[in-house]
Amino acid sequence: MINDKNSQKIVDIIQNFARQHSLWVLAYGTGCGAIELPPTMTSRYDAERLGVRGAATPRQADVLLITGYLTTKTLKRVIRVYEQMQDPKYVIGFGSCTINGGMYWDSYNTIKALDRYMPVDIYINGCMPRPEAVLSGFAKLQKLIQAGKADGAKKYKENLEWYRANQKNVIPNWRMPEYNW
Amino acid sequence: MNMIYILFTLMFGGAILTFLAHKVSGLLRDTLFVLTVLASTVLFYTKIHTGDTVDFSISGLSLQWGINAYGRIFSMIVLGLGVMASFYSVSYMKGKERLGYFYFNFLISLMSMMGILMSHDLVSFFIFWEMMTWSSYFIVIYNGKNVQRSGINYIIFSALGAYAMLMAIVMVYAHTQSLMIPDMMQAFPFFPAAYKIWLPILFLTAFTVKAAMMPLHVWAPDAYADSPMAYTSVFSGALSKMGIYGMIMVFVTMVNYLPDDTWFRETIAWLGAITAIMATLWAIAQDDARKLLAWSSVAQLGYIITGVAVGTPLAMLSALFLSVMHALFKATLFMAVGAIEKQTGTTKFTEVTGLIRKMPWTFISSLLAIIGLAGIPPLGGFVGKWMLYESLINSNHYILVIAIFFASTSAFLYCYKFLFGFFLGQEEKEWEHVKEAPALMVLPMIIMATLLLVFGVFPGIVLKPIDLGMQTLGYSTTAGTFWSMSGLFNEWGNQIMMRPLAYAIGGTFLFFLIILTVKGFKETRYVTTKDISSSGEVPLEHENLTFSEGFYQPFLRAVCPVMKRRMMTYYQGFGQGMEAFFDYLRRVYSGNGQTYAIYVIVFVVILLLFKNSLFG
Amino acid sequence: MKEILYYTWGAIVSFVVAFSVGITYMGLNRKITARVQNRYGPPWYQNFIDVIKLYSKKTSIHHGVMHHMGPAFIMVTAVVSLLVIPILNGNKFFPNLNFQGDLIFLLYIMVFGPLGMALGAGQTGNPNSAIGVTRGLSQMAGFEIPWVMALVALMIQYKTTSIVDLMNVQVESGRWLMFSSPFAFLAAVMAMLGMFRYAPFDIVGAPQELASGPMSENGGKYLFVMMSAGSVFTFAKLTLYVDIFMGGADNLIILVVKTFTLYLIPMLYGITSPRYRTEQSVRWFWGWPSFFGLLAILQAALF
Repeated sequence: MINDKNSQKIVDIIQNFARQHSLWVLAYGTGCGAIELPPTMTSRYDAERLGVRGAATPRQADVLLITGYLTTKTLKRVIRVYEQMQDPKYVIGFGSCTINGGMYWDSYNTIKALDRYMPVDIYINGCMPRPEAVLSGFAKLQKLIQAGKADGAKKYKENLEWYRANQKNVIPNWRMPEYNW
Repeated sequence: MNMIYILFTLMFGGAILTFLAHKVSGLLRDTLFVLTVLASTVLFYTKIHTGDTVDFSISGLSLQWGINAYGRIFSMIVLGLGVMASFYSVSYMKGKERLGYFYFNFLISLMSMMGILMSHDLVSFFIFWEMMTWSSYFIVIYNGKNVQRSGINYIIFSALGAYAMLMAIVMVYAHTQSLMIPDMMQAFPFFPAAYKIWLPILFLTAFTVKAAMMPLHVWAPDAYADSPMAYTSVFSGALSKMGIYGMIMVFVTMVNYLPDDTWFRETIAWLGAITAIMATLWAIAQDDARKLLAWSSVAQLGYIITGVAVGTPLAMLSALFLSVMHALFKATLFMAVGAIEKQTGTTKFTEVTGLIRKMPWTFISSLLAIIGLAGIPPLGGFVGKWMLYESLINSNHYILVIAIFFASTSAFLYCYKFLFGFFLGQEEKEWEHVKEAPALMVLPMIIMATLLLVFGVFPGIVLKPIDLGMQTLGYSTTAGTFWSMSGLFNEWGNQIMMRPLAYAIGGTFLFFLIILTVKGFKETRYVTTKDISSSGEVPLEHENLTFSEGFYQPFLRAVCPVMKRRMMTYYQGFGQGMEAFFDYLRRVYSGNGQTYAIYVIVFVVILLLFKNSLFG
Repeated sequence: MKEILYYTWGAIVSFVVAFSVGITYMGLNRKITARVQNRYGPPWYQNFIDVIKLYSKKTSIHHGVMHHMGPAFIMVTAVVSLLVIPILNGNKFFPNLNFQGDLIFLLYIMVFGPLGMALGAGQTGNPNSAIGVTRGLSQMAGFEIPWVMALVALMIQYKTTSIVDLMNVQVESGRWLMFSSPFAFLAAVMAMLGMFRYAPFDIVGAPQELASGPMSENGGKYLFVMMSAGSVFTFAKLTLYVDIFMGGADNLIILVVKTFTLYLIPMLYGITSPRYRTEQSVRWFWGWPSFFGLLAILQAALF
């Protein structure tokens, strides 16, 4: 008979392989970083050979790519999009703005650290990060997925109260459906 | 007393009693109404057999009533729909005014349709035909809205048809000295040549008005849309079929004996096809469900007319089968619109959306009816369409089959619009209170939708009586050559078996539905229609994002050149021209005595001039 | 009972074959597109990975019963048309129902799924879905005309509506119908461009305009079933074209070669084209393709 644990292991390996090599990206083009995506996807750097491909809507997407600073207004939409994505889902913070605010560090209406509001799996630093850096970010994400360590959605579910508190702190009129996963 | 007398006495007496009972109590009136329809249906099917006749004479005219197998096909439609619609209308018409008037006319029109099917002589045929026209006219104007347009149009075109028929009847009587339809049929091959051409044209004018064939269809969309939905299901399902009933008789007994009938058949078949195409395009453009279904009725009758005109046994089978199916699905759809109208108060696609969770049974029955209407297997509509296409291809109507196919492909557009407009789309707060329609309204719809499915998988159930009827018309039996219980064959010997295909469709659907449901059952959530991926925005309560305005604009832009011409504008032009002409003619009454004196002198001079040729 | 098992077995085998071949074709499509655009491109098995990933998505959402059932409808179209289309000459290895249905049944079952899926898409309440559906139905009214004209031309020329008979005609005469009825083939191939919905006819799912249209609310298992149905249906349609116009196939290798050659037509036409507007697309099909269809009917009726 097939050992239940072992068969689960094999299934996990296959699933992780598939998740790793098929990343459908919802590029949330905020700020200036969005301009780095066309060269990443087109013939010079060709991210499709890693299985990275654009997705049209959050329902189909695996990776949320946040390409720059987030104003508090935009943050609300980004959270909405993140919550509409299906598990397993990953977030890539792109550029120094998502890490520490970058050149907007003392702005009154942008957020500084993205991972206070949603779980970020990979940060790509630089201002701007070049397509090579983006590709290496994707490669790093693939390694994390292979190891089964990219579990942002689980983290979000477990620490939902903390995230919600932070989100409501900066977003004045909070009118969103409940997140009940 | 003969059972046929009893049937008519029952229906007519029931109508009058219902009318009187309205003054006494509502419950008594409703009970009497339903009982009359039920009792006459039971009586017809238990006591009256094929071939029963009854002779009588009024002031020297010998008349005959009776039923043959051909009439029985249509009596199936009339009485079946009558029973369904009577239950429906009791619930639908609750709380409306002048119900005695409505029920009286409803019963009279049912009775007159049975009378048309049972009259074997031209006089009672004509009388029942007129009764049918008038009783339906009274219901068309019952709502009191748009009377000028819908009511007057309807009665004018019906009158045109009736005069044509009366003329034809007089011609027949003048020639044969008999009013019996069988006598006319036997004598027709020996009629003079001019009679042979004019008689079918005159009769067809009368019948195509009821069957709403172009160019005599102008009354139909308005009349269907403006009468109460409880009656429209009968109006479009059964009453228009009386036109088909007459047309088939004309084609079988008259057109067959024309010296050269090809051009005649081709003309009518093409008129039917053009009706189907144009009415389909107009149905796509409508924003009101009643108008959409009304145009779609005209289009569906166009297919049937084409089948009748082509006239091969397979085409005739398909026309009769489609008649039964059209009665089923169109009645269901009109009833669904009625249910929605009753529950929400509107029938516009732009106003009401997202009813699927509030009116699930209405949705399911209209879904089945729409699948039947679109002709998608394994429902009944497909069987009829299949036979129509095969008969057209087998009888070398190559371009005609393309035209019919275009109409039925475009029909998917309005089919989807109907379902989407009412039932799908975002659910709005405005319609949150809407409940499912009462059981009396839902049950008839579900029964008819189920029948559609049964007849699609086992078309033999309906084809058997149709085959008997066609044998009465002089066709040889088609059982076994064109159809079996669940199989269909064409003239080249190709076959299609509905049962295994239905099993395959059902089995595949269930299998994948189970996979979809079981896989990750606990991780699958229902989310509201406000929770959609619209650029990260959350639509507010009052924001309705449903797409319903200008639904098929690109398609209509593509076909706009053909839709610029409307038959109605030609009729209006004709009317204006006549008005101007008579306005000019009116001026002979100048009011001046001297002018009148000149007229008298001119008249006398003319008399003198032509004295010899006129009186000599 | 034995018969049902026999046909079910045939269905499973042909489903597996159609699924793997169809999904490989879609992967090859991406690869070839990439090569034309001077990219390296994903591996040919990329779509396998995508499908497995979609299947292994943990969560999914639906907007109601119709939306939940939508992908099952489209799967019915894919599987039943695969059952009715003979895969190899002489019905060998893949027993199916092709003696129970004919071309007209096929024409209608091919719209069963899209309509069902359209209902599902309608229930989502997403305006993009409904717009995509109206575009798709309009386009269908366009390309069905030349397609039916081509089929009617074949039917009247060989006096049959059965696919098997058409295949037998070609086997007996040794001549493919694409050579003996060239106009019908032209009209049918032009209609195929619309049927595959690659550019310039990709107005339904246009990702940049409509956010993938009818599929915009589907993710996870729903998208998985729809993608599999799409690949099975791709193979079924190509097999139908090969059966009708290219003499069918005696074994799977010939079938794969023929279908792939045919598949290159919409693919390469798509890679090098921009996108039409809806009314342009509809009118395109009523123009030259219908003219060729008319010529085909004339040829069949007169010669």
